[in-house]
Amino acid sequence: MTYFEAFGMEPKLALDAEELQRRFYQLSRELHPDRFTRRPVEEQQQALEKTSVLNDGLRTLKDPVRRAEYVLKQHGFDIGEQRTKDVPPELLEEVFELNMALEESDREQLDGFRAKFAAMLGEIDGGLQSLFAAYDASQSRDDLQQIRGVLNRRRYIENLVQKIDSSSL
Amino acid sequence: MAYSDKVLDHYNNPRNVGSLDKSNPNVGTGMVGAPECGDVMKLQIQVNPETGIIDDAKFKTFGCGSAIASSSLATEWLRGKSVDEALAIKNTEIVAELALPPVKIHCSVLAEDAIKAAIADYKAKEEKRTPAGAVTA
Repeated sequence: MTYFEAFGMEPKLALDAEELQRRFYQLSRELHPDRFTRRPVEEQQQALEKTSVLNDGLRTLKDPVRRAEYVLKQHGFDIGEQRTKDVPPELLEEVFELNMALEESDREQLDGFRAKFAAMLGEIDGGLQSLFAAYDASQSRDDLQQIRGVLNRRRYIENLVQKIDSSSL
Repeated sequence: MAYSDKVLDHYNNPRNVGSLDKSNPNVGTGMVGAPECGDVMKLQIQVNPETGIIDDAKFKTFGCGSAIASSSLATEWLRGKSVDEALAIKNTEIVAELALPPVKIHCSVLAEDAIKAAIADYKAKEEKRTPAGAVTA
């Protein structure tokens, strides 16, 4: 069973987060252990397992990036299973140059980069919204491929932010 | 996770860090990366046009210790090899030499891919210089 199925929702990338949360509370109430005290041990066990799936599912689906990674993985676009040729040279060039620039930056410049990266992440997330809607309508692998590329870039930039935050310059 | 002594050695004293002139016709550049861990690896070879032997190799890697060690080791191995010998370098040899644990095998794959990308870039330049069918005096 997919997480979407566990919540009885359509497997959409542009998922209604409020609806997801509402269903989570509803289903969690229905599966609460208090309701199963007089039921057979087997049913108690099943309710616990379903609750555990819902918890994992909520964590995965409520965050747009995790949700997209989950859907991509289901369709064979796992971030960890990409080959080198799947990552375009322009992206590698960009990330390489940004890494070089960080290496030569002082604290003040690093702060400037952090602000720049935050803005880039904001732009990326805005762009993802329309890509999500496009995929929901088309269900095409080309659209998934494009989302894969955007999420790769996003991951690289997040990684650069982490580097800045962990640097003790 | 503990790194092997050899990984630590390459990490602390990386060999051949730097870059070669990308526009030099005898230089091949390979740039590869793994978005999942944020790694980017640039590896360059310089081939002596007379002998066909790789006489210089440089790298610059942003990534974990194993990725740095894998590319550092790769440049050591590349120097003095012919292009064809270089193509035969396998990631499993890097794994064995550096005693990389299973979770770090992808770092050696990255290094092998970087070698192959650099050679492909060099060969593409070479073909441009002497197009198929061209008479070379």
